[in-house]
Amino acid sequence: MEIGLNHYLVLSTILFSIGLVGVMRRKNLLMLFFATEILLNSVNISFAAISHYYGDLTGQMFAFFVIAIAASEVAVGLGLLIVWHKKHNSIDLDTMSMMRG
Amino acid sequence: MELFLYTALFAPLVGSLFAALFGASPRTKIAGIVPSILLGVSLISSTVLLVLVLITGHTVHVEMMTWMATGDLYIPFGFIVDQVSVTMMMVVTLVSTVVHVYAIGYMNHDKGFNRFFAWLSAFVFSMMVLVMSDNFAGLFIGWEGVGLCSWGLIGFWYHKESATWAANEAFIMNRIADLGMLIGIFLIYWNTGTLQYDGAFAAMPALTPETLTWIGIFLFIGAMGKSAQFPLHTWLADAMEGPTPVSALIHAATMVTAGVYLVVRSNELYSLIPHVGLFIASLGAFVAIFAASMALVNRDIKRVIAYSTLSQLGYMFVAAGLGAYWVALFHLMAHAFFKALLFLGAGNVMHAMDSELDPFKMGGLGKTMKGTMIMMTLASVALAGIYPLAGFFSKDLILEVAMIEHHYIIYSVLLFTAGLTAFYSFRIVALIFHGEERYKLFGFHPHEAYKFMLVAMSPLLFLAVIAGSFKMTYFEMVTYILPATEYHVHNPAIYWIMTIGTQIFVIISIYYAYKIYMSRDIKVPDGTSKMEKSFAYKLLINQYYIPYFYEECFVKPYRELSTLCWTKIDQKIVDASVDGIAKAFYATGENTRAMQSGNLSTMLKWMVAGTVALLSLAVVFGLAARYSGEIKVILSGLGV
Amino acid sequence: MLDNILSILIFFPALAAVLGFIVNKESIRAYGVVVAIIEFSLALLLWFFFDNNVSGMQFMETIALVPTFGINYIVGVDGISLFIVILAAFFTMIGIASLGDTKDIKNMIITLLFLQMTMVGVFVALDAIVFYVFWELSLVPMLYIIGAWGGPLRIYASVKFFLYTFTGSLVMLVGMLFMAYFYYQATGQWSFAILDWYRLILPESFQLWLFVAFFFGFAIKVPMFPFHTWLPYAHGQAPTIGSVILAAILLKMGTYAFIRFSLPLFPDASTYFMFPIAILAIIMIIYTAMVAYAQKDIKQVVAYSSVSHMGVIILGTFALNVEGISGSIFLMIAHGVVSGALFFLVGVIYDRRHTKMMDQFGGLASVMPKFATIFGIMMMASVGLPLTINFVGEFLSLLGFYQQSHILTLLAGMAIIVGAIYMLSAYKKMFFGEVTIEENKNLPDVNKRELIALVPLVIITIWLGIYPKPLLGPINTSVEAVVQLMHEKSITEEAKQRIPNLDILINRTSAKEAN
Repeated sequence: MEIGLNHYLVLSTILFSIGLVGVMRRKNLLMLFFATEILLNSVNISFAAISHYYGDLTGQMFAFFVIAIAASEVAVGLGLLIVWHKKHNSIDLDTMSMMRG
Repeated sequence: MELFLYTALFAPLVGSLFAALFGASPRTKIAGIVPSILLGVSLISSTVLLVLVLITGHTVHVEMMTWMATGDLYIPFGFIVDQVSVTMMMVVTLVSTVVHVYAIGYMNHDKGFNRFFAWLSAFVFSMMVLVMSDNFAGLFIGWEGVGLCSWGLIGFWYHKESATWAANEAFIMNRIADLGMLIGIFLIYWNTGTLQYDGAFAAMPALTPETLTWIGIFLFIGAMGKSAQFPLHTWLADAMEGPTPVSALIHAATMVTAGVYLVVRSNELYSLIPHVGLFIASLGAFVAIFAASMALVNRDIKRVIAYSTLSQLGYMFVAAGLGAYWVALFHLMAHAFFKALLFLGAGNVMHAMDSELDPFKMGGLGKTMKGTMIMMTLASVALAGIYPLAGFFSKDLILEVAMIEHHYIIYSVLLFTAGLTAFYSFRIVALIFHGEERYKLFGFHPHEAYKFMLVAMSPLLFLAVIAGSFKMTYFEMVTYILPATEYHVHNPAIYWIMTIGTQIFVIISIYYAYKIYMSRDIKVPDGTSKMEKSFAYKLLINQYYIPYFYEECFVKPYRELSTLCWTKIDQKIVDASVDGIAKAFYATGENTRAMQSGNLSTMLKWMVAGTVALLSLAVVFGLAARYSGEIKVILSGLGV
Repeated sequence: MLDNILSILIFFPALAAVLGFIVNKESIRAYGVVVAIIEFSLALLLWFFFDNNVSGMQFMETIALVPTFGINYIVGVDGISLFIVILAAFFTMIGIASLGDTKDIKNMIITLLFLQMTMVGVFVALDAIVFYVFWELSLVPMLYIIGAWGGPLRIYASVKFFLYTFTGSLVMLVGMLFMAYFYYQATGQWSFAILDWYRLILPESFQLWLFVAFFFGFAIKVPMFPFHTWLPYAHGQAPTIGSVILAAILLKMGTYAFIRFSLPLFPDASTYFMFPIAILAIIMIIYTAMVAYAQKDIKQVVAYSSVSHMGVIILGTFALNVEGISGSIFLMIAHGVVSGALFFLVGVIYDRRHTKMMDQFGGLASVMPKFATIFGIMMMASVGLPLTINFVGEFLSLLGFYQQSHILTLLAGMAIIVGAIYMLSAYKKMFFGEVTIEENKNLPDVNKRELIALVPLVIITIWLGIYPKPLLGPINTSVEAVVQLMHEKSITEEAKQRIPNLDILINRTSAKEAN
C-alpha cells in the first residue's frame, strides 16, 4: 500500500486532535506549550504533504516559517514562564487570572 | 355706520378689560359702573343699527382684518349686521345692560366683584362676536368664547366644589358638541370652499342631499350642546351654581339660545333638508315636555327656572325645525325678556333669604317683597302665554305652526307642555310669595332688594308685557332674509277654538297650582309624604337618573380606564418593553462576563468551541451550496 | 454680514459659550443674557430681511467639507424653519433671563448656549450629514442638563433619553447613507445635500424602506406612540429650563424633519403610510390624553399633554395638503410657546413648594391670583380655545386632514374634548377649592423675574391667536412649494390623487435631469 496524501492528512488530524485536547485539558503551562507545538507541527505536516502533492514549494516554505515563529514563540514564552515561576513558584494555569473580567 | 358696529361690538370688550385691570385689587364700584356704562353705549349703538336696518332695509357688512389664510382657506374677521343679527344684538345688549346694572347691587358684598364684571363683559363681547360674525369660523370664536366665560362664571365661587365641578361639566359637555360643530365646519369648507355665510349657503343647493344632511346634523350637534338639548342637557341645571345674574344672562337669555340662532342663521341649509328639520322639531318637542316634567317637582327655584328654559328652548327648536325660523327667533327674543326677569326676581328672593333656594322654606314673601312679587308674577304670566303678554304671541304661534304643518303629535305634546309650564311657574310663585310664612321657622329675615335693582329690572318687565305688539314690525323686518311664511289657521272657528282652548287650559293649570301650593298645610317636605315615595316623584326629582347614569357609565369608567392606561399599559407594557430591551442588553453582558474568567485554559476552551462552531457552519454552508439544486427539489416537493 | 447670518446664528452662541468659561461667576448671568439677546436680535434680523414671497431657501451658504463624498456644509432657511429658529433663540433668551437660583449656574448657562448652537444648526442644515451631526450633538447638552441638574431619578432618565433617541437616529443615519448611495447610483456623484435629494425620484419599494428608516429616527424624537415613554421621565426629572427647551424646541426636531425629509423625499411612501401614521397619531392624541388625566404630578400632566398635541401635529403633517402642513408647522410654534409656558409655570410653583403633586395644592387661585390667571390663559390656549395660538394650528391641522379621512378626523377631534378634561381637572385640583394645606396659605405670587418669561409668552399666545398672518404667510409660501414638489414627484396613482396639484412653478431643475 502506497502512502498517499490522505495518510498524511489523517496523521495531521490525529496530531491536531491530540494537541487540541492537550490545549484544553492541561493545567501546566509547560504542558500547554508542548500541546501548542503539537498543534503547529500537525499543521506543518499537512503543509508539507499538500505542498508535495501539488508540487508547489510555497507550502513547505510556509512550514519553515511556522517552525521559525514557533521557535521564537517558545523562546519568549519560556522566558515569561521562568519569570512567572520565580515570582509565584508555580506554573499552574489556574493561578493566572489577572485578566478576569 | 361701521362706527356703530364697532362700538356695539367692542364696547363690552373695553369694559371687560377695564374691570380686569382691577382684578387683583379690592372691590371697587367703578369696576362695575364703567362696564355697565359701556354696555349702555353698546346698547345705544345696537339700537341705532336696528333703526337703520328697520328703516332702510340695508345691512352693514365689514371686514376688519384677515384671521387665517393658508392654501385656499381664507377666514377674515368679518362682521355683519342684518335683520337677524341685529335682533340678537338688541336682545344681548339689552338683557346684559340690565343684568350688569342689577349685578352692581347683587354682587355688592362679594369680594370677587371686579373679577365678576370682567368675566360678564367678556361674555357679552363673545356673544356679540357669535351673533355678528359673517362666517362660521367667527361664529365658532364666539361659540367657544361664551363657553369659556360660562366656565369662568359658573365656577365664579371657585372655593365651592360643586361650583367648579359644574363649571367643568358645562365646559366639557359643550366641548363634545363643539367637536360636532367643528366637523360641520370642516364639511362646509371642503364642500363649498368657503366659510363665509353668503358663499357657503349659495353653494349648498348644488351639493348632494347626503352631504347636506351630514352638515345639518353636525351643526345641530353643536347647537345641542350650547342649547342644552337632550342628551347634553345635564349641565344647564348644574350651571345654576353660578351667581344669579349669570343664570339670567347666560343660561336663560343669551348663550343657551345660540343653538337656536345657529339653526336660524343656517335656515338656507335646513330648508334644503326638511327631514333633519323634522328631527330637530321632534327632539325639541321631547325636550320641552321632558324638561317641564322635571321642573314640576324640583325644590330649587333656580333649577325650576333652568328646566323651564330648557323646555322653552325645545319650543324654539320645534319652530326652527319646522321651518318657521322667524317664529323661533321671535320666541327667542320674547323668552329672553321674561326669563331674564324671572331669574333676576329669583335673585332678589335669594338675596332676601340668604341664598336659600328651597321654595318650601319661603312662603308669604309677597308682604315684604311686593315689587319682586309683581315682577315675577307677570313674568310667569308671560311665560305661561296668557293674552296679551309676550308669551302669548310667541309661544302660541309655535303651537299654530305645529298645527298648520300637520304635526299633530308635536302639537299635542306642546299643548300639554304649555299646561305644565303654567303649573310649575305658578307653583314656585305660590310657594314663594303666598301662603304661610314658613321662613320664620328657619329664622330668615327677608328684605326687598335695592331700589335701583328693581328699576334696572323694569325695562325687562316692560318688554315682557308688550313685546307681543312688535310682532308685525318684527315680521316685516326679519323676513327680508328669513322665509316669510305666515302661520294662520284659515278656518276662524278652529283658530278661536284653539286659541281660547289653550288659554282656558293654561288658566286652569295656574288655578290648580295656586290652589295646591297656597294651602295652609304646605310643609317642608321631609321624605315621608306619599307623593315623595311614589316612583314618578323619585324619577323626576332625580332627573330621570340621567346624571347618575352619566356618572356611572361615562365619568367613572373614563377615570378608571385612564388610570388603567397609565399604570398598566403605559408603565407595564409600553415602557416595560423598552426597558426590557435595555435590560436584555445589560443581562447579556452580565451573564457573558463569566467567560472572561481570566483563566487561560477556559479561554482556550472557548476558542476551540468557537473554531468548531465556525468550521461546522462552513461545512453546512458548503454542503448547502454544493447541493443547492437537490435541496430546492426537496423543498418544492414539500410544497414550500 | 447678511450673507453669513446663519453661520453666525449657529456659531456665535457656541463661541460665546467657550468664552464663558473665563467669565467669573458673578457676571455670568448678565453675560448669558446679553449673548442670548444678541442672538435673538440676530434671529429677528433674519426675519426682517427674509423675503416672504420666496418659497425656496434663503441666506444659503456652502462650504465644502468632504467634496469627494458630497458632504458639504450647507445651510439655509425657508418659511418652514425660519420661525422655529426664532423660537429657539427666543426660548433660550427668556430661559436664561428667568433662570432661578441654580447651583453651578455658570455651567448651566454655558450648556444652554451650546444647546442653542445645536438647535439652530438642526433647523438650518441642508446637508444630511451636517443635519445629523447637529441632531446628535443636541443630545449632549440635554443629557447634561437632565443628568446634572435633575431630580432623584436623573441618571436613569438622562441615560434613557440619550440611548433611546440615539438608537433611533442610528437607523436614520443608515437611511441617509443609503439615500446618498442611491443618489450616487443614479447620478454618478455623491451628494448629501437635501436639495439635491429632492430632485431624485425613487422607486416606490425603495421609498417605503427609506421612509421606515427615517421614521424611526423622527418618531422617537417626536415622540410618537409607542416610542414616547422616555419623555415623561425626561420631563419629570429635568429642571424647569430643561423641560421648557425640550418641549418647546427639541421635540419639534422630529416633526420638522418629517416635513423636511419624509414628505418631499418619499411622497408615495408618505401616502402609503398616511393611514397607519394617522392611526398612531390618534392613539397618541386620545390615549396619552387619558394617561395625562390619570397623573397625580402636574408636570407629568403637561408632559403627556405634549405628546397628545404632537399627535395633532403629526396628523396635520400627514394631511399632505397645504392647509394641514401649514397648520402643523404653525402648531409646532404654538405648542412650543404654550407648553414652554406651562413648564415655566410648573417651575414657578415647584420653586415655592418643592413638590409637583397636585394633591399638595388646592385653592391657589385665592393665594396667587396672578399666577392663576396666567396659568388659566395658558391652559385655555393648550385646550385650543379660539383666538389663542394653539387653535389656529389645531384647526388647520384637523381641517387639512379632514380632506383625507372623515372618520379619523372625527376621532382626532376628540383632542378638544379629552384635552379639556385633563387640563380642567388639573386646574381645578390646583387652583380651586379651599386652601387646605398650611404651607400654601402664604405663598408669594409670581415675581418679576418669572414675569420676564411669562408675560412675553402670554402676549405671543394671544397676539398670534388673533393675527397669525405674519407667520402663516411665509409658512404658506414654502409649504405650497413642498406640496407641489410632492405632487410632481409622486409616481403612484393614489399619491397623485391625495396630494393636491397647486399648479405653481417651483424654481428648480427638472426632476428628469437628476435621474
